[in-house]
Amino acid sequence: MKLGVVGKGGTGKTTLSALLAKSYAEQGRRVLAVDTDSNPNLAQNLGLDLGVTDEVPVLPRSLAVGLGDGTVTPAGLIAEYGVPTPSEVTILHAMRVSQAGAG
Amino acid sequence: MRSLLGAAIEEEADVTLVDMEAGIEHLSRSGGTLAYADVLLIVMEPSRKSILTGARTLALAEELGIPRTFGVGNKARLPDDAEFFATVAGEYGVPLAGIVPQDPDVIEADRLGTPLGPDKGAPVRAAVAEIVAFVDEQLVQAG
Repeated sequence: MKLGVVGKGGTGKTTLSALLAKSYAEQGRRVLAVDTDSNPNLAQNLGLDLGVTDEVPVLPRSLAVGLGDGTVTPAGLIAEYGVPTPSEVTILHAMRVSQAGAG
Repeated sequence: MRSLLGAAIEEEADVTLVDMEAGIEHLSRSGGTLAYADVLLIVMEPSRKSILTGARTLALAEELGIPRTFGVGNKARLPDDAEFFATVAGEYGVPLAGIVPQDPDVIEADRLGTPLGPDKGAPVRAAVAEIVAFVDEQLVQAG
């Protein structure tokens, strides 16, 4: 199931996203939280230290919209780009905003 | 369009939550994997402007073919704002998935830049759990 959360700055979207993700994780579901912000705060809201947050690698666009060069598997994508958080939610930093409108 | 991210979402996660910072309109142009959600939640504040923005996002989501879109009334000072959300969202045709109360614990965590502690924000957590149950119900109904 893919759940999108959208809202203008200041609405509390990121706080709410983190709480929703945690709520699913508490039910024992495998949760992937995808932050599409170039200034990612979601990881921090999921309990990741700021230092680690800054090191979360950005998923290359070729894997977000295509199949890459065929050497990476779906599980490999999560292993390589997903970062586990203390709240059991795996975070993926998908895209810089500067890339978001491209293509 | 198939993408490795799409496959990872299908195979490696039960729930994928996409924090759509750039907005659905931007994400739809970027290949779609992240734009096309099964359920879209629009977070709104208790103001007419915010709910109107929500209504516009809802229309865009429908254009993009997102099958289920709901508003969430956040930062609600109860009980007045619950009624405000219900009334104004109704006026603009935004169905609500839930109302989340304003909570001093959340405001404090925001100020400190820390996650909400496990013993904090019980009313907010309860409201979020209700939204999770509501979303599950929508998906069950959809089959």
